Amino acid sequence: MTSLTPTLSASSNGTLLEVKNLRTHFRTRDGVVKAVDGVSFSIPDGKTLGVVGESGCGKSITALSIMRLIERPGRIVEGEISLSGKNLVTATDEEIRDIRGNAISMIFQEPMTSLNPVFTCGDQIAETVALHAHVSDKEAMERAIEMLDAVGIPDARRRASEYPHQLSGGMRQRVMIAMALSTNPSLLIADEPTTALDVTIQAQILELMKALRDRNKMAIMLITHDLGVVAEMADEIVVMYAGKVVEKSDAITVYERPHHPYSKGLLASIPRLGEHRKRLEVISGVVPNPLNLPEGCLFKRRCPYAMPICDTAPPLQQVAPNQLSRCWLTPDGSAPAVGPDASGDIALDAAAKLSVES
Amino acid sequence: MERAEQGPRAAHAVSQTDVDEVDLTPVRTYWQLVRQRFLQHQLAVIALIVLIVLVAAAIIIPWVSGTAGTRTDLKLINKPPSLTAPLGYDELGINTFARLMGALQTSLLVAFSAVIIIVSLGTVIGAIAGYAGGWLDNALMRFVDIILSLPSFFLIVMLVAFFQTGNMWVVVFAIGLTGWTTAARLVRAEFLSLRTSDYVQAAQALGASDRRIVVRHILPGALAPLVVAATLGIADSVVVEATLSFLGFGIMPPAASLGNMLTKAQDYVFRSPIMIWYPGLVLIAVVLAASFLGDGLRDALDPRQRIEAK
Amino acid sequence: MAAYILRRVLQAIPIVIGVAVVAFFIVRLAPGSPVDKFRGGRVSPAVIENIIKLYQLDQPLPNQLWSWITTFPQVWRPDAWGYSFTDGKPVLYDLGNKIPPTLLLMGTSLVLTAIISIPLGILGAVKQYSRSDKVITILATIGYAMPTFWLGFMLRTVFGANLKWFPLFGAQTLGQSGLNVPDLLWHLVLPVTTLTIVAVAGWSRYMRSSMLEVLRQDYVRTARAKGLSNNRVVYRHALRNALIPIVTLFGLSIPALLSGAAVTESVYSWPGLGYLAVDAVRTRDYPIVLAFVMIGAIMVILGNLIADILYAFVDPRIKY
Repeated sequence: MTSLTPTLSASSNGTLLEVKNLRTHFRTRDGVVKAVDGVSFSIPDGKTLGVVGESGCGKSITALSIMRLIERPGRIVEGEISLSGKNLVTATDEEIRDIRGNAISMIFQEPMTSLNPVFTCGDQIAETVALHAHVSDKEAMERAIEMLDAVGIPDARRRASEYPHQLSGGMRQRVMIAMALSTNPSLLIADEPTTALDVTIQAQILELMKALRDRNKMAIMLITHDLGVVAEMADEIVVMYAGKVVEKSDAITVYERPHHPYSKGLLASIPRLGEHRKRLEVISGVVPNPLNLPEGCLFKRRCPYAMPICDTAPPLQQVAPNQLSRCWLTPDGSAPAVGPDASGDIALDAAAKLSVES
Repeated sequence: MERAEQGPRAAHAVSQTDVDEVDLTPVRTYWQLVRQRFLQHQLAVIALIVLIVLVAAAIIIPWVSGTAGTRTDLKLINKPPSLTAPLGYDELGINTFARLMGALQTSLLVAFSAVIIIVSLGTVIGAIAGYAGGWLDNALMRFVDIILSLPSFFLIVMLVAFFQTGNMWVVVFAIGLTGWTTAARLVRAEFLSLRTSDYVQAAQALGASDRRIVVRHILPGALAPLVVAATLGIADSVVVEATLSFLGFGIMPPAASLGNMLTKAQDYVFRSPIMIWYPGLVLIAVVLAASFLGDGLRDALDPRQRIEAK
Repeated sequence: MAAYILRRVLQAIPIVIGVAVVAFFIVRLAPGSPVDKFRGGRVSPAVIENIIKLYQLDQPLPNQLWSWITTFPQVWRPDAWGYSFTDGKPVLYDLGNKIPPTLLLMGTSLVLTAIISIPLGILGAVKQYSRSDKVITILATIGYAMPTFWLGFMLRTVFGANLKWFPLFGAQTLGQSGLNVPDLLWHLVLPVTTLTIVAVAGWSRYMRSSMLEVLRQDYVRTARAKGLSNNRVVYRHALRNALIPIVTLFGLSIPALLSGAAVTESVYSWPGLGYLAVDAVRTRDYPIVLAFVMIGAIMVILGNLIADILYAFVDPRIKY
């Protein structure tokens, strides 16, 4: 694919994590599932990147690839993941273990099942501290209690000696956050950290993450299907669809002027304050079967703007300053932009359809 | 968001001429998935084939060979193998192969009959307990607890010894009457989990009769674990029959069973050690085939199992 | 904890009484009278009358049942469980002699089974679909498929009769008196091996699937994401959880172990409960038969009780 190389982050100085052309594929009986297919992005020091998409779009696999936690039959087949210049794809198992839970920590979607039921919360946090900080068990436990206190768990000393099943879901996610932050990571990967929680608890957890981010000056990769959550926290946003990045920009731009029809759909499907709409929009259709992806643009079957040129895969291209989109629409979103097949007829055709539409 | 809602705007998105626009991936039904998962389980497929061959042989060969499996002939004692007697003759001059197939027939008949009793008794008792609930459920389940506490194999030995040693049908009933508890628990559990489930409540709300709900909605759910239990029950029953013979309570010669052939061969183990391998290997083949088949069915019928790894 | 144990013990009592009732009926409802086998022989009618008196066989069935239910718990009375028809000794005395060899056989086998099958199960799960996993699975299934008596007979023929490494039968060399531990252990080898091979087959499969289930859990991923080594993930985080259901297996395996022991004892003429009981069935020694059913059931109930208590210890989620 001849695409313009996405160069969003202005300077490579201060880039913490750089993912280049990452491909993670799963060999299954029915064929190869390209869960992550040529994804590139970078996260500067202390900044928050939001990764947005429906379930199955490859966002979690991207995160697990960064942690090198992909299990059979999955494999990183191509690409580079560099953390402060160190390539994680080629790092040895020992090196990667030293990075996991230390330089990069991760919290997961399911707080109810992500903690080991047979160890106390304190033990599980202290284990991470003892492993990476090389301190005594007693000091590690003190640090664990400190962390529990820092994430707003009341009576932290007593809670440290309790088992996960004795805590509520929100409390458990706090424990997970305490565990992830106990080693002062420079990057926190949060995979749908609030999805399984009640709305009020969601807000509390997000507030907590924001506060801890600002205090620790760490970067966050926030994975979610909820653009609302991202808008609140992220500096930049990557929108993923079927294993590919379809739009990439700063948070305000994506929120205010999304370019890709998929981003528009995602945005239209969340309620916004101060807007009166009879009903929320839904994106029609379903995510394509990963074993049977359409030719050309992967979104064309569900796209309200689909046009003949969409049978050719669009490149990720600049549509505005600081905004990349994998779509043929022109920057103002009305007609096909550039591309090998772009011709007057196609443009006219598309424009005609669009005028009928509006 | 994941619902396939075809809005009016989607209409022009799919042009009719473009075939590749349509997702051609076949949607698989439950039974197609079961079949696919089962076929994936190579050992289970082999086991199924072996079991079919054994059952066919047990039906056809004794029917063709008539009394050859029990007829003694002094002239034929310890004769080597021939075309009509592929395994030769034993020390009584009986055609070993014909006898072996007769024995297989008896053992399989015992096992299948016992499993039929186990499954029907278990289904009825489990269904009553699960559907009625309350004190009846409680009483039946305490009874199951008591039966489960009793040493079941010894119970079988007792029943066979006290009622009529050597009678095949006593063996069948002894195995059946002591073995139904697991099946009953499975069916009851299915009732309990489904009675409160949304789709059974929906059926009730729509005015379906109790009988219809049980037959159409609940029993099919219990079918999968029952089929697995039954398959594994075949393996167990064959072993129980053989063990009864070993202890002297099994089916008595001249009738042949794998158990009594195996037991008798032990007496001649130093003179003709090969004789212990024929019934032994056939028995192991039956048990292995049934248990691999059971494992394969369990994996195939469990909807939580997924074809492609996540 | 003490209250929990007490509650579980109290809950077991009705089951024991239920077992006593069911066992009584199974034994008494056998066709014919228990004394039939004595009739027409050299036993004088007066003796038969005595037996009938002693066992209240002339009483109506409910009376007999009531008498059995009220006397059997009085185990401190030597005659509480009646007298053996064959040797005339109190049943409890016979049991006292036969229980230790059986417990020795079952206990040794249980310990060996756990020691062997747990590592095998872990290996099979951690290296799922590898060559060693397949070999373990196939051997386990063959072990499971082999009838205990046949396995015992083969081991006895090869290692006892042919190679003469181990004795063919019994628990001690003939003509010996008193306890000779090395001799006893030497006699124990083949019966224990037989029983253990059968049990390892089932346990290692169970352990493997339990471990596989645990390795799929989210908290195992969390442990890996912390940067723990693979060994620490498997042996600290996964193993503790995978062992929890194995505790139940301890309780569940008692019935199979008992019938396995009965068969093994018969193969090796091991002077235990199972051998005694099978013999008693053959000679229609009803008091002994009834006693074995009772002892067997009590062992099963105790096994479940111990499993429940262990469960409460190993799983912090259990409330007691």
